[in-house]
Amino acid sequence: MKYLNKSITEIHELLKNKTITPVDLVEEAFENIEKNKELNAYITLNKEEALKEAKELEGKEVDNLLFGLPIAVKDNIITKGLRTTCGSHILENFVPIYNATVVEKIKAKHMIIIGKTNMDEFAMGSSSRTSYFGAPRNPWNKDKICGGSSGGSAATIAARDVLFAIGSDTGGSIRQPASYTGIVGMKPTYGRISRYGLVAFASSLDQMGPMTKNVYENAVLLNALVGKDEKDLTSARREEEDFTRFIGKDIKGMKIAVPNFLMGDIVSKEVKEKIKDTIQLLEKSGATVDYVDIKYLENAMTLYQIIAMGEASSNLARFDGIRYGFQAENIKNIEEMYLETRGQGFGEEVKRRIMVGSYLLSGENAKVYYNKALSIRDDMRKEFKKVFEKYDLIIGPTTVTTAYDLTDPMDDPRKSFMDDVLVIPVNMAGLPGMNIPVGFDNKHMPIGMQIIGNSFEEAKIYQLGSFIEKSLNLELTPGGEK
Amino acid sequence: MANYIPTIGVEVHVELKTKTKIFSNSKNGYGQMANSLTNVVDLGYPGTLPTLNEEVVNLAIRAATILNCKIRHEMFFDRKNYFYPDNPKNYQITQARTPIGYDGYVEIEINGEKKKVEIEEMHIEEDTCKSAHRGTKTFLDFNRAGVPLIEIVTKPCMTSSQEAKAYLEKLKELLFYGDISDCKMEEGSMRADANVSIRKSEKDPFGTKAEIKNIGSISNVGLSIEKEIERQAALYDKGETFQPQTRRFDDKLQDTVLMRVKETGNDYRYFPEPDIPFVIITEEMIEEAKKGIPMLPDERRKIYVEKGVLEINANKLIQNRPLSDFFNTLLNENINFKTASNLLLGDISAYLNKEEKEIGETTLNKERFIELVNLVDSDTLTSKNLKDILTMVMEQEKTIQDIMKDNGIENITDDGEIRKVIQEIIASNPESVEDYKNGHDRAIKFLMGQVMKETKGKANPRLAMELLTEELNN
Repeated sequence: MKYLNKSITEIHELLKNKTITPVDLVEEAFENIEKNKELNAYITLNKEEALKEAKELEGKEVDNLLFGLPIAVKDNIITKGLRTTCGSHILENFVPIYNATVVEKIKAKHMIIIGKTNMDEFAMGSSSRTSYFGAPRNPWNKDKICGGSSGGSAATIAARDVLFAIGSDTGGSIRQPASYTGIVGMKPTYGRISRYGLVAFASSLDQMGPMTKNVYENAVLLNALVGKDEKDLTSARREEEDFTRFIGKDIKGMKIAVPNFLMGDIVSKEVKEKIKDTIQLLEKSGATVDYVDIKYLENAMTLYQIIAMGEASSNLARFDGIRYGFQAENIKNIEEMYLETRGQGFGEEVKRRIMVGSYLLSGENAKVYYNKALSIRDDMRKEFKKVFEKYDLIIGPTTVTTAYDLTDPMDDPRKSFMDDVLVIPVNMAGLPGMNIPVGFDNKHMPIGMQIIGNSFEEAKIYQLGSFIEKSLNLELTPGGEK
Repeated sequence: MANYIPTIGVEVHVELKTKTKIFSNSKNGYGQMANSLTNVVDLGYPGTLPTLNEEVVNLAIRAATILNCKIRHEMFFDRKNYFYPDNPKNYQITQARTPIGYDGYVEIEINGEKKKVEIEEMHIEEDTCKSAHRGTKTFLDFNRAGVPLIEIVTKPCMTSSQEAKAYLEKLKELLFYGDISDCKMEEGSMRADANVSIRKSEKDPFGTKAEIKNIGSISNVGLSIEKEIERQAALYDKGETFQPQTRRFDDKLQDTVLMRVKETGNDYRYFPEPDIPFVIITEEMIEEAKKGIPMLPDERRKIYVEKGVLEINANKLIQNRPLSDFFNTLLNENINFKTASNLLLGDISAYLNKEEKEIGETTLNKERFIELVNLVDSDTLTSKNLKDILTMVMEQEKTIQDIMKDNGIENITDDGEIRKVIQEIIASNPESVEDYKNGHDRAIKFLMGQVMKETKGKANPRLAMELLTEELNN
């Protein structure tokens, strides 16, 4: 009997009436993962501990929807006693001594961490191919990438190994792989979820978020992750809300904007067609959809590169082999220790970004690049604000194409940034954004649409997302069995 | 040696006296077992984030107020990026662009002349960890990592080592009395760097600068500045020049030695710390911080002197914070403050030093001290007798009068009894009486001595003197 392809409410009922136990779910999850081993979705499995935790739950009251459910956690999220590598050689043997705030939160709900998912090294990449542990594969076609950097989390959800995964999104790293694998991935408003325990890539952009097979489950998980954290000064204090509260509601009268930039020439015809179909559906359902110009969107990629690489060059400075992580052997002095440890410990993409970032912050460059980028970012935020004065939500494609081949060349960094060109503005503006599958291309690879909301309006995104999900009623399980 | 005008600026790092560290909740302490006061934030573990200790902001506002600085109302932190093993994140969180205080001054006095030493800026930052080298190994103690610091930078506005020393003495006094830092240079809670250059005339541009780092005491700051001026002058006299450089003071050599020639363009890749949002400093926060400022030395000095304390004693009291604080509790009392200060700095200090105690650790509370001052002031208790009972005064809880009684120290205050003795002495010393009447002052002292002798020292000296004068003039 299989349970993990059922809905959360069904599983919850089964747990409550004791038809199944958390141990059944954990065992099934590991069977699934074993069966899908070639997806390479995980860097570390937490089998022993997960089973132990599941057993410990057996006598306990099933007190919430997430009780006893297995969850996969991206490997840049700190888990006490469970190896956390960030997909890097430099942390290959790093076993943390504390828990990220989100980990504490999911544990408080009695969720069970099943393993740590594969990712681009330090979340730097868009196809998960910069992982020291090899790239994960797309469940829809194992020769294709599953996107990145949260590629492992996307793969394991698309393959229906488990119901829940957590990803992180600095420049599209939840939404883009969600789009390539046909799942729902939400990057909440910056500050919604405490970043304490997320290994920093670009501090002013990083945000974790839920990755799930459907909208409702996504909102349920988000409910558990959010909240002001005294340990993260950038986390926001908000009144408690239920993110599922608008799910199932009508969208009549909803005002939706489509930025012309998101429907420009960079987007492939097939993707554009699917988005247009969806727009028609929305219009038919009583929403108004307008094409709008939003200033600075075309600059978002440049701003992103400056800000993210600048911050990354500083954030990754702490990996020096002194207090934790890999240390090079046969070193003669401090200088050599730094050079060899970091030279051998980091992969090419990470080193490239550290170098570019260091250059961008050097001497007068900080003023010319970083500070200027921050100020244009502010302008861009204001532009988005203006749009939200008139519109409820913004929509557009999540990616310019569908997932491409794992063997496609990686030597052009500009090309890899094109994978994220449509999702990055959301990070720059600190807004919430979500991918929702809207169809397939002619090779049956998923096409995704992103829904962008005003700050802290995730609930509205879920409202539209669930409407689309229900209306399209797509078969989103690879291989077909729903 | 030709005549040169020195230009001196001083940078001081002071550790703030907070309960916890600046960006984590680890305890801020000195002299504990290595790495016992540290957590994942201090160690720069992946995923950790800084929080901001409000006590640090409060103390920094207080310091800015005391140093007459303008206070910034909106500030942020910056990252200073450099690799060094004592720097756990390989960046230090500091304030490069928005120092909390700027444009301040400290008033010093040199040979009776007042001068304002201008403060360029003061900012908040975190301390690094402490490294110790043993043989080929280096040991790191992260207890100090994340201890809050303020760095106070003067303008290059001093022209002598005396000024620099006077500035540091004054700064130390202010920050110590402001309860901002314990300012112990020997423990590193106050550290000073001096920038020194010389030039022939005030019209000339500033000379090449040498920075003397981490000098261990105020007197050595003075010495190292003098040595540096001599060294630079000798070079210029020979027609030589030198590179801007960093030096240190060598205790054994009693001289400065070269550490490194400054490389141009030291690149710290500063950028605004994204993990700490803007800090808004409100008027309420400033008022709150000001309220916490205890009475500062200059005000104490002024009040003490107004109350009749000798200036030299006022300064001595201020050098001893516990005594000064004790003295301050008396300021609203109607007592002889001169007597009070003499007692505190004399017999009481001698006792405290010998016993290695602070005044708060004795039984001498405010009430008993007031009694003591009045007894001494009225000559009811002579200084000789006080010495005999001092230990009891400091260690017992009885009233001073009870202690006197226990020890047979009586005080004849009966007019009639004393007058009788005086009359007898006048009768039996006609020569001295004659001398007194002829204006010889010595005579009355002799007669007084006789009175005390006759009463075995128990006559109240003031009363006896009054009566003696009266009888002699009869």
